[in-house]
Amino acid sequence: MSGSAVEKTESQETAVLALHKKFLGGEQAKAPLRSINEAGIKRFELLKFPHKKHEMYTFVNTHELAGTSFELAGEGPVDTAWVQSRIYPACKHSVAVFVNGAFQANLSDLSGLGDSFKIQCLSDAVVDDEIKQTLIDSLEEENDVFAALNSAFMHHGVLIDIPAKATFDVPVQLLYVSTGTSSGAVVSHPRLVVRLGEMAELKVLPVYAGTRGNYCVNAVNDFIIKDGAGVTCTQVQKDDAESWHVSKTRVQVHRDGRLFARNASSGNRLTRHHYEIHLKEEGAELLLSGATVLVHQEQVHNFIRIHHEAPHCTSEQLFKNVINDKGRSSVDGTVIVNKGAQLTNSNQLINNLMLSDEAHSDNKPNLMIFADDVKCTHGTTVGQIDEDQLFYLKTRGLSEALAKSLLTTSFVNSLIQTIPFPDVVADLNEILLKKLEAKHA
Amino acid sequence: MADENSSKTASVSQVMEKTEYKYGFKTDIDSDTLPKGLSEDVVRAISAKKNEPQFMLDFRLKAYRKWLTMKEPAWPNVHYPKIDFQNISYYSAPKPKKKLESLDEVDPELLRTFEKLGIPLDEQKRLSNVAVDAVFDSVSVATTHKKKLMEVGIIFCPISEALQEYPELVEEYLGTVVPIGDNFYAALNSAVFTDGSFVYIPPDTISPMELSTYFRINTEETGQFERTLIICAENSYVSYLEGCTAPQFDTNQLHAAVVELVTLDNAEIKYSTVQNWYAGDPETGKGGIYNFVTKRGKCLGDNSKISWTQVETGSAITWKYPSCILQGDNTQGEFYSVALTNGHMQADTGTKMIHIGKNTKSSIISKGISADHSSNSYRGLVKVNKGAVNARNYTQCDSMLVGDQCSAHTFPYIETANNSVQLEHEASTSKISEEQLFYFEQRGISRENAITAVINGFCKEVFKQLPMEFAVEAQKLLTLKLENSVG
Repeated sequence: MSGSAVEKTESQETAVLALHKKFLGGEQAKAPLRSINEAGIKRFELLKFPHKKHEMYTFVNTHELAGTSFELAGEGPVDTAWVQSRIYPACKHSVAVFVNGAFQANLSDLSGLGDSFKIQCLSDAVVDDEIKQTLIDSLEEENDVFAALNSAFMHHGVLIDIPAKATFDVPVQLLYVSTGTSSGAVVSHPRLVVRLGEMAELKVLPVYAGTRGNYCVNAVNDFIIKDGAGVTCTQVQKDDAESWHVSKTRVQVHRDGRLFARNASSGNRLTRHHYEIHLKEEGAELLLSGATVLVHQEQVHNFIRIHHEAPHCTSEQLFKNVINDKGRSSVDGTVIVNKGAQLTNSNQLINNLMLSDEAHSDNKPNLMIFADDVKCTHGTTVGQIDEDQLFYLKTRGLSEALAKSLLTTSFVNSLIQTIPFPDVVADLNEILLKKLEAKHA
Repeated sequence: MADENSSKTASVSQVMEKTEYKYGFKTDIDSDTLPKGLSEDVVRAISAKKNEPQFMLDFRLKAYRKWLTMKEPAWPNVHYPKIDFQNISYYSAPKPKKKLESLDEVDPELLRTFEKLGIPLDEQKRLSNVAVDAVFDSVSVATTHKKKLMEVGIIFCPISEALQEYPELVEEYLGTVVPIGDNFYAALNSAVFTDGSFVYIPPDTISPMELSTYFRINTEETGQFERTLIICAENSYVSYLEGCTAPQFDTNQLHAAVVELVTLDNAEIKYSTVQNWYAGDPETGKGGIYNFVTKRGKCLGDNSKISWTQVETGSAITWKYPSCILQGDNTQGEFYSVALTNGHMQADTGTKMIHIGKNTKSSIISKGISADHSSNSYRGLVKVNKGAVNARNYTQCDSMLVGDQCSAHTFPYIETANNSVQLEHEASTSKISEEQLFYFEQRGISRENAITAVINGFCKEVFKQLPMEFAVEAQKLLTLKLENSVG
């Protein structure tokens, strides 16, 4: 990094500290969260903005993001019709809407979920020891500077608290709307904590969408999955092309708990998902998949750490990336099998389809194994459309464009089709597959 | 007399403790040893003692100044106490190894190892530096070989000799593959290296024999900072062997060698290493060698090929990535590795394949076996630059864990910047299953032999790349190393 670049990041760090001071003195800050806000900014001062030499950011250039001056986003007005149009039909009565991270009761409708679905502000929920501990503990070992910033500016996060054995017929859509301004760039710090009691089941669909470009979403989600509970989380990132999106998802899965997490990202200036998943007790199960289609200069990066902390846990990962134009994608995933975590079963597969000469794909599937009776595999492929397959389709009378479109579409579709929510599948057809059709038309 | 007796029965670790350099043990500095410490004067003194041409001194000084600005890297997955670089003497004139009268004087532990490896008696004598009859004297063997090589025009000599005899060749290629500021240890090596091998294969020449380091230096201790440079000119081929299966002891704990290979059009270099340095006390892990080596080959000419084969079974810490820069069009890089760690050994090894030219191909086969309390990491980079159209890579890295106290890690980096590439990476981790062993045992094969069979099967793909005699010895070496680790 050149001298001026160092100075620039330093000045940005000072700017963040000034913004934080202003935040603590302002109306947005909430007294019960103050200790967490302060711990968060301390962590930020320690970690500092990343540069390429940080092993966690080898493939991600956050320079532009760190170099942009952001103001905290307000709860600005939002077009109700615009919001309504982004609610999935199946979730009409099970949707929570957030504008710039703040829960909007008037736009949300949770009537279809019954009494066992509880949602409350984190500033009220911190009286719960377990919740407070989750928020504080996570900060002590926080290695992601953006997640630390989320804690530093946390004021309108929510807790979804599901009692033991509760189940719901419908999925819950969490619609995060970001509104940029015409003046300067704004940032929001959505925070979500989901706690599932024993044997409870929940299906959530976090959807990130934005009205105008100049914004950054810095989300942190915590999942506490108790014994035998299960979460299906299908996340859709369809922010404006001019925005930034960084997220961190922290998960603790207890005995026989399950997390089926899928994410689909449409890409923007920079999207980075960071997963830190702890399979804490025997029988915990994880499925994590990601799909993306990138055009122009869009970027999507995934950074994954899966900790197998107990015997008999299973983790499956599958990523499929289609990269076109000057798109950039990276998957940096590590599976850590702790000492004593025998009979672990872990698979990891990353497939990349490169459609342009200027596309860029970086992959790093890591394994760190401290136990001997385990089955762990990982694999990565980078390639392009198979000439033989293309030829085969052409001999059947398909045009080159159609044949290519069919092959690329089916590459991501094999993942999209596994999503058990028809609304989401339709949405992804719109935001991901359309991009490919446009390309080959 | 009592002393002599005890040395005969001493265990390997005891011998090591004795041979380990004890600071302050030797107070009288003889004129051929520079005092401890590193400074510009020391670099100048080394160069002067070797009577080197001016360009070499400039090279060393530039490297030293660069080194001063660099930080010791902390990213590898290995742990060791901080090295005090001012507490090392950077030059000591080569001394002959102590000659022994007969094999009876050799450490019995060493003899047991020889026997297990199946090394012939005369060879045993040579390796342990026992005086041998004229016919088998290593010096005469070396002379015969040298004569044969000179007939076809191959230069194979110590690099210090090459600097005197062929300075223009050294100047043209030295530092072109591993630049002086490449990494912390390469910079240090560039500043203070004292010896190593130099090989030049002239155009249109197939080397009539496999070149091996132990033809060159056998009566002298190998240097702590070795430098090897191999140049293979157009349409030529050479196979180079480094190290040997016999256990190697050395008084220096830190080994920071640099190896550079260059192939011109249609040339091929095959570089095989078997490394079995002292790994430290098996109980505590103390006293073993740190093997921090930078090995890199550059396929400069079109259609050339570099192949690395390594069998790493020793050293307390092995930290090296034999790499290929595939610069010419249609060039090929290969990397075959078996890394075995036991006791408290740590290994962070793998390769880098940098695809620059068109239609370049590389393949990586890595087998890691960790036992006892050891830690074994594969770290590899496959990088395809924008211009490297139709690049192909196949990577397979398998790990085997023996026992529940060891660890195995894989850190592959795969970076691609164009759309005509095909890359595949596969990895798996497994253990020797009870079912496999049971199957052998019920057919009357002992548990020990069963383990040998399974492990050799696991490493077969790599062993078949080694020259015949080496392969046989390497197989036995693995078996020997894993003794008492399993079951």
